[in-house]
Amino acid sequence: MSRTLLCAALIFVALIAVITSLSAENAFVWNLPGGFPAPRVPVDNPMTTAKVELGRYLFYDTRLSANQQQSCASCHQQERAFTDGRARAVGSTGEMHPRNSMSLVNVAYVGVLTWANPTLTQLEKQALVPMFGTEPIELGLSKPGSVLLERLSRDARYRSMFAAAFPDVSQPVTVENVTKALASFERSIISARSPYDRYRTKRDNDAITPAVRRGESLFYSQPFSCFRCHNGFMLGGATDFEGRSAAGEGGFEFHNTGLYNLEGLLSYPSPNTGVYEATRKPEDVGRFRAPTLRNIAVTGPYMHDGSIATLDGVLDHYAAGGRTILEGPLRGVGHENPNKSRIIRGFTLTADQRADFLAFLNALTDEPLLHDPRFSDPWTKH
Amino acid sequence: MKSLPRRAWQPVIAALVVLTSAIRAQTPPANSAGAALSVSGDIPHALSLTASDLKAMPRTTVTITDQGREVKYTGVLVGDVLAKAGAPLGRALSGPAMATYVVATAKDDYQVVFSLGELDPAFTANDIIVADTVDGQPLFDYQGPFRIVAPHDKRGARSIRMLQRLEVVRLRK
Repeated sequence: MSRTLLCAALIFVALIAVITSLSAENAFVWNLPGGFPAPRVPVDNPMTTAKVELGRYLFYDTRLSANQQQSCASCHQQERAFTDGRARAVGSTGEMHPRNSMSLVNVAYVGVLTWANPTLTQLEKQALVPMFGTEPIELGLSKPGSVLLERLSRDARYRSMFAAAFPDVSQPVTVENVTKALASFERSIISARSPYDRYRTKRDNDAITPAVRRGESLFYSQPFSCFRCHNGFMLGGATDFEGRSAAGEGGFEFHNTGLYNLEGLLSYPSPNTGVYEATRKPEDVGRFRAPTLRNIAVTGPYMHDGSIATLDGVLDHYAAGGRTILEGPLRGVGHENPNKSRIIRGFTLTADQRADFLAFLNALTDEPLLHDPRFSDPWTKH
Repeated sequence: MKSLPRRAWQPVIAALVVLTSAIRAQTPPANSAGAALSVSGDIPHALSLTASDLKAMPRTTVTITDQGREVKYTGVLVGDVLAKAGAPLGRALSGPAMATYVVATAKDDYQVVFSLGELDPAFTANDIIVADTVDGQPLFDYQGPFRIVAPHDKRGARSIRMLQRLEVVRLRK
């Protein structure tokens, strides 16, 4: 009897050891840079290495589009800090997206995910938009996603990866788990290795030039007030993290920068009318999220519709306190847009100040990120 | 003279490297050279305080949470700076003196206002300081060389950066 009990105890201990070693092996380690708080991760989708790796394979897999022509990476290219270099994205069927592809860098810290939808706050839900959305068509999949699931299930690699990522379910190849894995991979894309990061977090004064330091001071100074929308460690708006309190940090903000001022009810061209698209409140016309400025030098063209080609052009827009378009259907004086943020008042910019601003913005590029094998296309290796 | 073996120099070189790094880490930002904080207005003694003057005054460290991260700022209580200028504080802060405020102005002309009462350590426990150090290091260019830190404010807008002037205004004299 005692030998039986001893054997049972030994087997139990061995099982615990195996389970512990497996979970330790699967545990995702953030290795967050200094100054970065813990990201907010949904309780029902904790980070694991298996999910992150599965998400990476899915992210770069053209089987995620109905016609197998595009993957997530088609519009979110690593070498462009996960943007696409186009003014506006183009979907798998050739349909043009109304908006510019947003960077996925540090998206784990973004509280509202798109340019102007205050209700889209979770990456798992956002992934469904490009997968199944019809206005516009992006990946062009049809609900409920049977074609995709059949494609994935036929692949032995995926059968194994899904089983490892979702070990508690017998049928892990589901649309929900595809979005969970994609979200996990996206959350893992953390960027903080720019020259400016080295200056700020490591006090490495040699990491940046005097021009960058001057540009930083301009960025944070009152006449320019860039920091009021592009703030904190993200140098962007709508930053979220674990433990963030809306009372202490304020709500997520959207801004009308005076990019357009069309005549009529809608001062911004449809369908890009900003938060108004979700709320239908007139005061929300033209209000968009301030994106992160990290890696901004490699993520042009700029603005929600990619309508400004260069950072020089963006500085011109803000210096004028809004863009004036003299001719054509978009003509109007953006400076006079009735919804324009009171922060956007315009300023005078000398040639030296412009050069300093550009030096600062260029110092925000995390060059290693653009080639980091952890975020690269896994299919090119096989 | 017999020269020291090469290995014997290694600790010396290592010490020099560490010392050089430490000195470099403590190098103040370029904009702190010659910078001063002026205190003026309805006070008996106008002041111009240099970085060294502030370093010689009683020091206070406050901790704030900035986007989930604790940051320690060290400097001098604004109340101590104002006391040095002869502002009515402590028992003198009563009656008409209660209608006194302080305008803080930054290099970029940004301005914020505090009532004198909330800057007096004998009056409140706000511990609002003129900081010159963040996490043991000089402030960054865009912050300093001096800034106010109001640790109990829910928003950071009064924690004015690039502070240059404090002006005391008495509404009733």
